[in-house]
This record gives sequence, structure tokens and C-alpha cells, in this order.
Amino acid sequence: MTPRKRYAAVFVLLSLILVMLVLINIMTGSVKLTPAQVTEVIFGGGSDAMNRNIVMEIRLPRVLSAVILGGALALSGYLLQTFFANPVVGPFVLGISSGAKLAVALCMIVLISSGHAATSLLMVGAAFLGALLAMGFVLLISLRVRSVGILVVCGIMIGYICSAVTDLIVTFADDSDIVNLHNWSMGSLSGMSWNEVRIMFFITLICFGWAVMISKPIGAYRLGEDYAKSLGVNIRTLRIMLILIASLLAASATAFAGPISFVGIAVPHLSKNVLKTTSPLVMIPACFLVGGGVTLFCDGIARTILAPAEVSISSVTAVLLAPVVIAIMIKRRLR
Amino acid sequence: MTKDFVLSTEDLTVGYDSPIIRELNLHIKPGERLTLIGPNGSGKTTLLKSLAALLKPMEGCVYLDGRSAGEMSGEEVARHLASVMTERVKPELMTNRQVVETGRYPYTGRLGILGEEDNRAVDEAMAMMDVGDIADRLFTRISDGQRQRVMLAAALCRDPGVLILDEPVSYLDIRYKLDIMKKVSDIAREKNTAVVMSLHDPDYAMRYSDTVAAVGYGGTFRIGSVKEIFTENFIRSLYGIEDVDEALFPTKPWF
Repeated sequence: MTPRKRYAAVFVLLSLILVMLVLINIMTGSVKLTPAQVTEVIFGGGSDAMNRNIVMEIRLPRVLSAVILGGALALSGYLLQTFFANPVVGPFVLGISSGAKLAVALCMIVLISSGHAATSLLMVGAAFLGALLAMGFVLLISLRVRSVGILVVCGIMIGYICSAVTDLIVTFADDSDIVNLHNWSMGSLSGMSWNEVRIMFFITLICFGWAVMISKPIGAYRLGEDYAKSLGVNIRTLRIMLILIASLLAASATAFAGPISFVGIAVPHLSKNVLKTTSPLVMIPACFLVGGGVTLFCDGIARTILAPAEVSISSVTAVLLAPVVIAIMIKRRLR
Repeated sequence: MTKDFVLSTEDLTVGYDSPIIRELNLHIKPGERLTLIGPNGSGKTTLLKSLAALLKPMEGCVYLDGRSAGEMSGEEVARHLASVMTERVKPELMTNRQVVETGRYPYTGRLGILGEEDNRAVDEAMAMMDVGDIADRLFTRISDGQRQRVMLAAALCRDPGVLILDEPVSYLDIRYKLDIMKKVSDIAREKNTAVVMSLHDPDYAMRYSDTVAAVGYGGTFRIGSVKEIFTENFIRSLYGIEDVDEALFPTKPWF
């Protein structure tokens, strides 16, 4: 089978799986729906007002945001792995998600206590600043030490510090705010509105397009910095773009759903192994599809396994994806 | 005049924080093979990197086909000049053909998708470097010698006027050393490509160069024909081995 045919086959398969997952996720819940009912509501408007409400106002926005944010996290992880030329980094282990989380928590508390409503764009902005700040720390460390092990440990430390400060803030917040904040800081996709879906869609779309536009330098960068330079790649510009896109993607995911662990590390590997290539023009859309699917799958488990209670999505992704990360590290060590 | 030379320099001073080699004026013709020799740490790699536009010159200028390289875009430089440095990377899941294809990037559009002409150039370069039969194997799974051939093919496929090679045969066994050196000479002869390379082994430098430049400590630089440079006394002083009591050059070739 030629690589091109393989890519086409895999992409068709991945899309089918994603559509299936979307359907299943919309069907399941405290009110069970049949596929016919779901398609009726989505395509035909539907006559049953309650079903329509459940699908259009609760489940569909949630499912879409799982796909968009999962894709965003996976793409962010892929770009970071490219940047550090290392497979065991991602927005969560580098502390970027936690930095974003801290900034959002601060922003929420300040706004709520002063009586303002926190808009989604403001949250994303705060998350982006927090992500860049955490990224800045990581970069400072990476300038001083070349060891990736130390880098990852430092990232986890930064993550812990940010989480600790976030917890502190949450503790001092008013009781009524805590419930909201606590849910969010554990990572949850519940209660997404169409407005939020729209915003995350546009941010992710811009980042996706931007990433595709720099796929040529990314492709050259796989063969090392000097080699990429010899092909006329401006390394400094490439690195800045990688950081900005990766941070923006991780920030928007964190702003809307709180920190979601390990999707960013594990998904690029899963995609790479399925497609047997590292070509960025293939990897960028593949990471997005696989990331969306994996996150949707995990969210499905998070909301059904202990229904009517919900598990935080980060717990599910950790249980399912951390072993993948361990497997990657073992495999690399053995090679 | 700089126009007749594919690569020339004007008062080129190279180095990182402090100058290593000062005010160099080189003039290299198409098809010429210039070899840099000299002890480790004398600045050969720094000079090569500066010529290849991987390192900004501290002062002076590099000209490609009579045009200042500093005023060209990165991709434009890459269309005139290709380099294979000693950086050794392990790109994941890349076939040899995909590695060579990246060499064509300076000719492609924004997304780096190769056209018909690009694919033809890749095929030709791979055939010339005898790596056509391993095109679909993974770059990480072939021998060092084969890898060097693939890297040469990647440099060759963009049809550069100048090829810059940093120690192209270090860490290879004798079979590949001879093979790579022969291929480099083929490129210079058949494609009329100027080759600037550094070699550790004076023996190879003698056999595969048209011009030799000796780079010594403290930025000393002497350029000349093989005969002019390879005198017993000069080579001894260049490498600081005046007191070693052994003949440097065999009276007869060993092969």
C-alpha cells in the first residue's frame, strides 16, 4: 500500500470513528435517545421539544467542545514536541496548562468579587497570559540545561506550584463561587454554551491554519536545527511561532474546560503510530482528529461511568493515556 | 571580479564572540574542490558555517554568483548553496526518500509540496548517489555510510552551485570513505558544482582536492595547490608535530 493510500484510508477511518463517537455521545445520558431521534433533531428540527432541548442545548455543544478542545490540546502537544525535539513533552507536563489555570482562577476571583461577569474571551486572554508565563519559565530552564529529564521535572514542579496557588485562591473565594471554580479547576466539559463553542472554534481554527502554514519549516526542522537553517528556515521565527500557537491552543482548552491531562503528549504518538509518518502536513490534521476522538471518548466515560455524578475528565484521560506515555518512554529506552 | 566565481568572500572575518579567522578573501570557481585541513579547533567548521550562511559573518561578506549572500533570503541562498554538516539526527519515521525530498523545499511553495520537476530532481539525485534502492527504508535503520549518501542526495537534488561539506567521511569505514569521496568528486565534475569541504585525513585531502587551504591555530590561513601545501615541514608545523619522529607521507601511495 502506498503511503498516500494509507493516509487516505486512515483519515476516512478516523473520521468515521469520530462521527460514531459523536453520535453515541449524543445518544447516551440520563435520557436515552435513539440514532433516529438524534438525526431527526439535528437535521430535521424534530417535533419533541424536550429532545430538541437536550440535544441542541446540552449534548451537542458539549460534544463539539470535546472535539475542538481535544484537537487543540493534541495539536499543542505536537507543536511542543517539535519545538523541544522530544516526544515526552506536552502542555500539561510542562506546566503550561497549570499556568493558564492559575491565571484564569485569579481572573475569575477578581471579576466575581468585583461584581463583574467573566466573559469567555477574557478567560481565554487570561489563560493565554498564564500559559505564556509558564512557558517563559520552562524556556528559561531549557536555555540553561539541555537535559529533557530536568525540563520535564521542572515543568511538573511549575505545574504543582501553580496548582497550589490556585487551590489557595479557591479556598479564600466566597462559597458560592467555589462550586463553579472547583468544578472547572478539576477539568470539566459540562455546561458549554454555543457562544463558547463558537469562540473556541475560531481560536482553534486560526491556530490550525497557522500551523498548516508553517508545516514546511516544521518538516525541515525534523532533521535538526542546522539542516533546517541550511534550507533557508529562519529558526528564531519558527520557534516563536511554535511557542505562540502551542500556548494559544493549550490556553483556550484550559480556559474553557480546565486542565485536561496527557492528551497533548499521548495523541501525537498514537497518530504517528497509526499513520507511520511524521510529515507535518499529515500529522497536523491527524492529531486534531485523534485528539478530538480520544477526548470525546474520555468525556463520554467521565459523564456516564458514575452517572448521575460526573468524574472529572482529567481523571479519565490520566487513567487511559498515562499508560500510553509510559509505554512510549519504555519503547524509546529499549530502542 | 567576483562574478566569475560561484563563491567568493571579501575581507571575511568569522568567529562566534571573538574573531577566529580574519579578513579572508576566497575565490572559488565552478567545479573546483577546495579542502580545508588543519588541527581540531582551528576554526574549519566555523569558516564552513559562515560560508554556508549558517553563521553570520563578524565582518566582511560572502558572495554567491557575485551577489551578497547577506542580502538574499534564506531560501534564495539555499537554492545556490547546499551544505551537509556533522549534526547527526534521528528523524522519526522518515524514509530516505522523504529526507531527500526536504532538500527540494527551497523550490516549493508555502506548504512544501513537491511538483513534477521536484520529484524528478529527487529521483535523479538519489540515482546518482546510489540510494534509489533504499528509498523507502527508514533513515534511522541504515548504516552511517548510506546515511551520508542520502544526505548528499538531499543536498544535490536542489542543484546547488556550491556544496559545503563538514568532515564528510569521519566515522565511516574505508569502503564508504572512498565511496563518498569518489561521489563528491563526481558531483564536482559532472554537475560543475564547487565543493568546499573539511577533511581530517591529509591523505584524502591530497587525492581529492584541486586547492587546499590550511587553517592553523591563531587564525593562520594559507591556500594553494596540493603540491604547495603538502610539504613535510609545513604539515608538521600546521599540526604541531615537529618532534614526532615518523615520516608523514609514504614515498609510494599505499593503494
